[in-house]
Amino acid sequence: MSATAQDASINFLNYDKSLKSWLFTKDHKRIGLMYLVAVSIAFLAGGILALLVRLELLGPGETIMGPDQYNQSFTLHAVLMVFAFIIPAVPAVFGNFVLPLQLGAKDVAFPKLNLASFYIYLIGVVIAMSALLVGRIDGGWTFYAPYSERVGDSILYVTTGVFVMGFSSILTGLNFIVTVHKMRAPGLTWNRLPLFVWSIYATAIVQVLATPVIGITMVLLFLERFLSIGIFDPALGGDPVLFQHFFWFYSHPAVYIMILPAFGIVSDLIGTFSRHRVSGYLFVALSSVAIAFLGFLVWGHHMFVSGQSATSSIVFSLLTYLIGIPTGVKVLNWVTTLYKGSISYKTPMLYALMFLFTFSIGGFTGVMVGVLGIDIHLHDTYFVVAHFHYVMMGGSVIAGLGALHYWWPKMTGRMYNERLGKIAATLVFFGFNLTFFPQFIMGSRGMPRRYYDYLPEFQQMHQLSTYGSWVLGVGLFMILGYLLMSLKTGKKAPSNPWGALTLEWTHTTPLPHPHNFTQTPVVVRGPYDYHLVPEMFENAAEDGSVKSVHDVSQPAS
Amino acid sequence: MASHPLDGHPAHLEHHFVSSEQQFDAAKMGMWLFLITEILLFSGMFVLYTVYRSWHPEVFALVSEVLDWRMGGFNTLVLLASSFTVALGIHYAQKNDNRKLIINLVLTLIFALIFLVVKYFEYTGKFAHGIYPGAAFDPHGIVDGLDYAKYNVPYAAQFFSIYFVMTGIHAFHVIVGIGVFIWITLRASRGEFSAAYYTPVELTGLYWHLVDIIWIFLFPLLYLI
Amino acid sequence: MSQAEHHIVPIKTLTAVIAVLGVLTIVTVAAAQFDLGSFNVPIALLIATIKASFVISIFMGLKYGNKTNALILAVGLIMVVVFVTFILLDTEFRGDTSATESGTIMQSEQTMPAAESH
Repeated sequence: MSATAQDASINFLNYDKSLKSWLFTKDHKRIGLMYLVAVSIAFLAGGILALLVRLELLGPGETIMGPDQYNQSFTLHAVLMVFAFIIPAVPAVFGNFVLPLQLGAKDVAFPKLNLASFYIYLIGVVIAMSALLVGRIDGGWTFYAPYSERVGDSILYVTTGVFVMGFSSILTGLNFIVTVHKMRAPGLTWNRLPLFVWSIYATAIVQVLATPVIGITMVLLFLERFLSIGIFDPALGGDPVLFQHFFWFYSHPAVYIMILPAFGIVSDLIGTFSRHRVSGYLFVALSSVAIAFLGFLVWGHHMFVSGQSATSSIVFSLLTYLIGIPTGVKVLNWVTTLYKGSISYKTPMLYALMFLFTFSIGGFTGVMVGVLGIDIHLHDTYFVVAHFHYVMMGGSVIAGLGALHYWWPKMTGRMYNERLGKIAATLVFFGFNLTFFPQFIMGSRGMPRRYYDYLPEFQQMHQLSTYGSWVLGVGLFMILGYLLMSLKTGKKAPSNPWGALTLEWTHTTPLPHPHNFTQTPVVVRGPYDYHLVPEMFENAAEDGSVKSVHDVSQPAS
Repeated sequence: MASHPLDGHPAHLEHHFVSSEQQFDAAKMGMWLFLITEILLFSGMFVLYTVYRSWHPEVFALVSEVLDWRMGGFNTLVLLASSFTVALGIHYAQKNDNRKLIINLVLTLIFALIFLVVKYFEYTGKFAHGIYPGAAFDPHGIVDGLDYAKYNVPYAAQFFSIYFVMTGIHAFHVIVGIGVFIWITLRASRGEFSAAYYTPVELTGLYWHLVDIIWIFLFPLLYLI
Repeated sequence: MSQAEHHIVPIKTLTAVIAVLGVLTIVTVAAAQFDLGSFNVPIALLIATIKASFVISIFMGLKYGNKTNALILAVGLIMVVVFVTFILLDTEFRGDTSATESGTIMQSEQTMPAAESH
């Protein structure tokens, strides 16, 4: 039938190596890889800025830069990391590459839109960064009015960039929702979806529902500057707290855009590397959706000291506790999955376990700062900085690194060096904790965030934190190094190096061109049914690839 | 119906879909998702309206009389009529009547243009009396014994800021809609649509109805109450 | 092909809907000529909502089509309600943090003998 005999040596990476074939590709795999390059550059830039900020804080007073440059550095670090790196990173990189494969689809529902979304993202980043040529951007990534209305014009470039990147995020989310609904392979029912798909689906819901509001907020900010429409500026009769509401209506759900995909990754990693069905599958899956919706009801916890009414603060605080329930459901189920699993400590699994530790700290401290009274004390201190770095970096980035190692063989057709991977993972773990744990301590003692200078009593903690950032930096650069090296010298990857059961591993590595699957797969089992098919692993070939007995069946003709 | 999708592959069917039906459903669902992003975009402005109205109800009640309900009401009817012609267009597309499809698309375009013309006269009428959004707000002049200066009260500027932003962004959507309708009409005149494939008409129709619905709410909130 | 099987809304239905929409527009304008006190806003919104539901269910075909799309719309509208409600929770109660009128804890403390140290 459709089985046009495909040349096994032709794959999606090498069928056409011209730059043009990459820039105009509509292949979700190539778009995913282009995103990977783009967000890695953003991460590198943001990371270097973070190292500089930490270096400046090594001692009180001026160390390497003045207060003005310091303000600009942390602002730029935040803008890059939040909007250019972490929001697009996991959904757009791994969502693009893996989602259609895990669904057994040939591509996402709207491939042209997908490519457009990538370029819109790039344009947004370029606009935002061109602010640097115009002038200074400081005041943090939250653009609170009325400061953002009075400071120099460069902030307009940033907000316009954010507005544009928002479109990219919406289009990606829209694309993924439709893809999950309409492009699933025959037999791939909702309760057979890999948990990564569920989490990307939940993320996409948030992207679609929340992002338009940041769009209108940026438009209003723009109009406020040019026409003085008096909505947010108290001098004109406006209300600055409304700006914060608008901003956080998006930006709080946005933190779930950052963390939800990480949940999915960890579910997949823990299932795969403990050879165990993810326990409470349905609860883990639905808790993603629950978090997506609950995430919309809690934005006011960023505003406990903004002057919003106590009534709303109390409601927001109570609802914030609720987030702990679905999140707890996930963490407990991951731990239960490990129980009696046969765990193999491959690099991706190390990151998954690391995630359990660091994310739990981030989550628990999140509940703490959700408590009204405690938040009054901890608001705008390093405690909050440490909390969200434990969630964003300890959660999303660590899980993202796990995903990168896990899917790297599928993406590039090469294996990275496992030993270097483990060393780097260890460095990242210790470096990360050394960087951010001291910040909890000094935050609880009153060290305010975003300050250029500090009292001598905080110096010890700041120094520990800066040393930690060096260890973390070494770990991350090491990863960059050995991954790039693996492209040249890495072993050729087998089709299923981890013996995983989700659909993307059932096909050759690298994946063929033009279609992901030579024939549409028919799914007959769940994504983690390791208990059903023990013989698959006993009979696994040398390279770890699994024979397709009991595996995804293919149409007979 | 009988053939394998890859055999009788119709021209409009993209390679990654199994059937036209899957492609149509996916496109329509994508459009609905886009529409709720539009709803949420506008919801931001409705929130502003609600908050400022609840803070200053007497100001809103006073200054909303500046807006002419006859013009707003006329425009409401015009947009409703355009929604009707779009729905008719899809009806005829489904019945393979290309001529009537084109007629209805052109009618829709005409209605959309009428809407903008009325909007233009509304805006310029306001500007003539110093009613601008934001800092330039300075109502003055006397028309039919009505002294505009009496509208120069605190928070009147907020009402008109919200009015101009809401109707302005709505008008922007109308302009975008006109652009898309021109494109759709050209494609229809090339005979690209039929009962088998009219997805672009359907999607543009959905978008246009939403623009209509937004106005259905804007009209009473801004002009009447 | 399969698209021919889509539900075709009869012209009669479409005409009936546009007639209802026109009438409702006149009704809402007429209602606004009378001062109904606190009912002004709810009535205007009610009529607008009825009009919108006609457009959504018939013109946009939600009544005939895929139920998922109806769910999408419902979720979007719920988010709008969340947005408005939670902001009103703030703006309608703004300043209650420092409210110390009669019946508050502060006052009851003052009247209590234990609080004589004031």
